[in-house]
Amino acid sequence: MEYIVTSIGLSLVQGFVLLLIAPLVAGIINKVKARLQKRQGASIFQEYFDICKWWKKATILTPYTGVIFVLAPVVYFMTSFMAATMVPGFLTGQFSMGDAFIFVYILALGRFFMTLSSMDAATSFGGMGGSREIYISVLVEPAVMLAILINSIRYHSTTLSAMVIDYNEAFFTVSAVLACVAFFLVMLAENSRLPVDNPDTHLELTMIHECMTLEYSGKLLSLIHLGSYLKIVVFLALFGALYVPVEIPLALKVLLGAVLIGIVETLNNKMRLFKVRVYLGAAIVLLLLAIIAE
Amino acid sequence: MMTTIMPEAILMAAEKMSAGGKHPLTAMFGRDETANGVGYVIYCYFEIPENKTVDGFKVVFNPNGSLEYDSITHIIPAAAWYEREIKDMFGLVPKGHPDLRSLVLHETFPEDFYPLRKNVKVNAKVRGERQFKVRTAKGEGLFEVPVGPIHAGIIEPGHFRFSQAGEAMLQLDAKLFYTHRGIEKAVEGKTPYEALPIVERICGACSVSNTWSFCQAVEKAVNVKVPRRAEIIRTLLMELERITNHVGDIGNIPAGVGFNPAISLGGRLKEKLMRLCEAVAGNRFLRGMIIPGGVSMDITPELCDRIHQVMDEVADGVEDMATMFREQENFQNRIQTTGIVRNQTAMDLAMVGVGARASGYSHDSRCDFSYGVYDELDFKPYTKTMGDVAARLLVRIGELSASFEMVDKLIELLNSCGEQELSVAMEYNEGSGWGISESARGSNFQYVALDGDGRIDRLFVRSASYANWPALPIAVQGDIIPDFPLINKSFELCYACIDR
Repeated sequence: MEYIVTSIGLSLVQGFVLLLIAPLVAGIINKVKARLQKRQGASIFQEYFDICKWWKKATILTPYTGVIFVLAPVVYFMTSFMAATMVPGFLTGQFSMGDAFIFVYILALGRFFMTLSSMDAATSFGGMGGSREIYISVLVEPAVMLAILINSIRYHSTTLSAMVIDYNEAFFTVSAVLACVAFFLVMLAENSRLPVDNPDTHLELTMIHECMTLEYSGKLLSLIHLGSYLKIVVFLALFGALYVPVEIPLALKVLLGAVLIGIVETLNNKMRLFKVRVYLGAAIVLLLLAIIAE
Repeated sequence: MMTTIMPEAILMAAEKMSAGGKHPLTAMFGRDETANGVGYVIYCYFEIPENKTVDGFKVVFNPNGSLEYDSITHIIPAAAWYEREIKDMFGLVPKGHPDLRSLVLHETFPEDFYPLRKNVKVNAKVRGERQFKVRTAKGEGLFEVPVGPIHAGIIEPGHFRFSQAGEAMLQLDAKLFYTHRGIEKAVEGKTPYEALPIVERICGACSVSNTWSFCQAVEKAVNVKVPRRAEIIRTLLMELERITNHVGDIGNIPAGVGFNPAISLGGRLKEKLMRLCEAVAGNRFLRGMIIPGGVSMDITPELCDRIHQVMDEVADGVEDMATMFREQENFQNRIQTTGIVRNQTAMDLAMVGVGARASGYSHDSRCDFSYGVYDELDFKPYTKTMGDVAARLLVRIGELSASFEMVDKLIELLNSCGEQELSVAMEYNEGSGWGISESARGSNFQYVALDGDGRIDRLFVRSASYANWPALPIAVQGDIIPDFPLINKSFELCYACIDR
């Protein structure tokens, strides 16, 4: 009993800690991008101000929306938060609260609700964003599952905390390196970053994730953005804990991962929409190779 | 002198003038000459590149007779927009036109209101309820995506209606002319000098070109020759404007695919050039330099040094950008085979500028006409044949290096030319003339008719964007909708130039 209470408590604390630093990580990514483009860039704390600003603004609902429209951002945020409580390695290292399958499908639930809400307002941009999101998630899901399979084969468990990489054993083996590269590719797609989606664009016709949020404002918008920032941190933490075979503190891995995302986003432009399947196909092939090597 | 024909003969005359497509349609516009007892007139100009001139005919309509004529759009597709605009502005109806919706006047204008007829006052206040139907495709599984007229970026208004089959664009209909300013009406009754600041502000990207075309037209109308030093300065200004815009455009195309380093570099270089423009003319758009009869200010040797220096810096930057584009495989993948305009389409629509030259249609007013000192510059149009976004990007980069060389030569010419009067006095009297100049977007044509007091009776502005806009809906066919911003940026069409 005590074990369960402690682990639930620690998980929640970890969720809140990640939530607190999430806007900072997004700010760091943006700062890195700005500096690499020789721009001054906004402060790394800008995302906190943005969230506060949206939170203070009025929430405007179009008369054509239903209950899904209000529900979706809450679900999206909550699923990101729950995923954050499960990430192994920070506080919850020795407790096994998070199962890999639950982790993946909790995030899928959030995405499912966002897609539903994108069609709720019945705008053409929303529908376009929703259909593209589904197209990408159909490709992302098997990739994430394969990535998890590698570690679960290696450590004979599907509990996230049991799958944390063992630095003595998996130090730069073929499968560890392949999985590391592939998971990074998948992470970019999952979090709507370049080269799959462009988080900075104002061009509605090219958007994917942003398309679905166009109709949102006020508190609901800040929930969506907070959820997205949190998701990046969750994935960076998972990436660091499960797939980076280098023994450095996890927080440092998250920070370096954020810098790496900034660099990759500067070096790349958005690919053709229908080329995304080639990109994610490559990630899946790498993961299959990693499994064979395992 | 232009031949005058009756409305019945328009098809034959147009067929003869176009010479099987060898002579592209320059412009077609109406004029109200009822005050002189002539009637409504349609002017039809064709380019005659072998004579370095334009020629054509005018069609005279008796205001009390039939105001209909046979549409020439099915033999000269480029006439489609002109005929619709003439119908809006003068009420002359092209029979058999495939698309007789109004072009310029939207829902807020009443029926039977023809603003360019002389009996309509400049400050007439009207309100009406026209019908304006946007074209859509109907069918199982097809849907529409309306975009605009208000856009997310800081751009001008235009409504795009995509008919979609999934991500593929089946049809695009663009509803433009939202901010029609009535400039052609507003300058009527003004002297060319009074009209000059208005003409300069038709568009920010082409202000030198528009002003130069206007001044050429006025100078032709009153038969004045501009001093040589002024011609050199005008040419230099034109090339500065072209470089500024081309650099801005090649920095803007990557924004369609989120290629951030190139966007930032383009922005930096353009700012450098605009500051140079400010040093030259006192404003960032090179306004106030070109006046009827010459130029208003000299370009001093110190300024020439500054121009040299900035050109060197910008040329290095452009070289960097070109390398960046070449080496970024993912970027090449986006721009190649995207938004193709075939050579035949470009010729049929009488496209101009970069859009035409990227499709292998060698159309450049700097060679096709004789103005400024381009004859002395030993210059050939830069063409590509693919007609895709990549070709339009490469044409701009190629033209930039040609322009850098031209600026060097122009500064040499300027130094060897010596001190001279910068402008000649203008005596305005009755007459008419046309002017043409090649801006970054393509050739800008203007027609000016002066009345007995030397005041403007009719000004017609055919900007490069006017000729190229109809190509956009054709270029996007077969591509997917996320590629539209990229294709659109590669043409860099101007809204203000058509909202004149």
